[in-house]
Amino acid sequence: MLNLKEVYFRHKNQTTDVLKGISFNAEKGSITTILGPNGSGKTTLFKCITGLWKYYKGEIKVDRVSIDKLSFKKRARLFSVVPQEHEPPFPYSVFDVVLMGRASYIGVFSSPSKKDYEKAETALKTVGIEHLKNIPYTKISGGERQLTLIARAIVQESPVMLLDEPISHLDFRNQINILKKIKEIALIRGITVVMTLHDPNLASLFSDKVVVINSGSKVAEGLPKEIITEDLIKRVYDIEVKKADIDGQSIICPVL
Amino acid sequence: MKTIKAILILLSPIFVGWFALFLGAYEVTPLMVLKILLNETLHIFEIGDIPEKAIVIDIRLPRVILAGIVGACLSGAGVTLQGIFRNPLVDPFILGISAGAAFGCAITIGFLSNIPIQFMAFVFAVSAVVIAYTVARTQGEVSRLPLILSGVIVSAFFTALVSIVKFLVDPHKLQSIVYWLIGSFSLADWKAVKVSFVGVILGILPIFLMRWRLNVMSMGEEEAKALGVNVLRERVLFIGFSTLAVAVATSLCGIIGWVGLMVPHLVRMLTGPDHKTLVPLSFAAGASFMIAADTISRTLTSFDIPVGIITALTGAPFFIYLMKRSGKEAWGK
Repeated sequence: MLNLKEVYFRHKNQTTDVLKGISFNAEKGSITTILGPNGSGKTTLFKCITGLWKYYKGEIKVDRVSIDKLSFKKRARLFSVVPQEHEPPFPYSVFDVVLMGRASYIGVFSSPSKKDYEKAETALKTVGIEHLKNIPYTKISGGERQLTLIARAIVQESPVMLLDEPISHLDFRNQINILKKIKEIALIRGITVVMTLHDPNLASLFSDKVVVINSGSKVAEGLPKEIITEDLIKRVYDIEVKKADIDGQSIICPVL
Repeated sequence: MKTIKAILILLSPIFVGWFALFLGAYEVTPLMVLKILLNETLHIFEIGDIPEKAIVIDIRLPRVILAGIVGACLSGAGVTLQGIFRNPLVDPFILGISAGAAFGCAITIGFLSNIPIQFMAFVFAVSAVVIAYTVARTQGEVSRLPLILSGVIVSAFFTALVSIVKFLVDPHKLQSIVYWLIGSFSLADWKAVKVSFVGVILGILPIFLMRWRLNVMSMGEEEAKALGVNVLRERVLFIGFSTLAVAVATSLCGIIGWVGLMVPHLVRMLTGPDHKTLVPLSFAAGASFMIAADTISRTLTSFDIPVGIITALTGAPFFIYLMKRSGKEAWGK
């Protein structure tokens, strides 16, 4: 579905690469999580995939079609992006925010049609926040905002959904709820999900595949159970951990 | 509730306009105004050549329509600029667009009387906003405070250029520049109304059609791009259309500040921030506000106070109120 091949990126007027040849595949209907320490290049990688920043070498393909020269409109129909929590300057209602996901289907000189409104309604129901429809987006909690942004990504109807640290501002309960929701959407709608997370345990609980990157290079890729090892965490994060099994689910715990 | 408010705002220019037609130094009864208007449009009543007719049709009506259109242009430009710059504290006046247009008008009156005044107003209005925007833009985003500061700088620069023009022209022209700079509708006639329709067709209409995009644009450059918007192209369109509207308005009645800031705010408070309704309601409310302000300016005393003074007297305290109310939030990023 989504294929990255040897993607290199560097900032303007600089000589060091931020991404040093990243390659991985994300399959249809599966969840791929990118793990890595702060500053390892996760966000840069996302910006390259969405086309905000231009990589100078390598290739990114969706369904075997290169995305290099696509317009923003066409790109938005391939990728929906759930950004990190943010605050818009005006207190739009939750519904208005979700409706914005239709932008790539609506002409410059026109407004959303009845069909667009219906799709936004359905998306609100899908993520279970139809009761928030008319509440200002600025007045709802962090978890509810994340759900709103996920609903917005759903109305975009793109085959690939990118989520940049979708749970970093949330409490434990909301973290689990959001990740469950994401998993459900990937399964039911067959959407290819690529996200970044900080917690290796949550990554292995909810992902089909984990890609670990460190200082711009890929360190490991594969089934979370197999690649998240004591040795890998030591290498990438420089902390000591112990791996344990609970009901067939492997978890890691830092050693103090 | 919101719908009722919206309908009232949409209809307000008609009521305010009707009031404006019978208020004034020469007394015309409200009923007579209706009769005269019906006589003009449908030829139901035969009222003959009474002086009231000339006052309503030739003097007050064009002034009311012109004030309405100028109010709609300024407030429409205000709501557009607030949306694309994601900044509730900007308007054409604060961004220096009005000052740029004023300079274009001043040099046309002073030295280039064979060039259409609207054209020069537009050229310098665009230069002003482009400079203000470029100065404020760092790393792809435009934060609130730098944008307002650069607007102040650009405003000051073009105001200084206007002063140079004032210093160099002959006294007769100086007088007309000075009077015109304060902003007034006292010279309104049907010819001015016709010119103002350029602002409606080239400025207001496209903004109206594109209004929903402002929702998406106001989420910020990166997010709008991810949602499939060609941010650069659409930003140019929005700035172009709103600058055209302001240039036409300024060339017809001088600098009238604060309308573009105040009106969209009031409408947002009443009926919410969705640009789909906010934009048309801002047009209507801007028209009503301007007609009302102009009516006050010509009826308050025995002479015509320039309307720019009235809007500034209400606008400056309003800006302070906004600043205090939104506090840190409004000045941050």
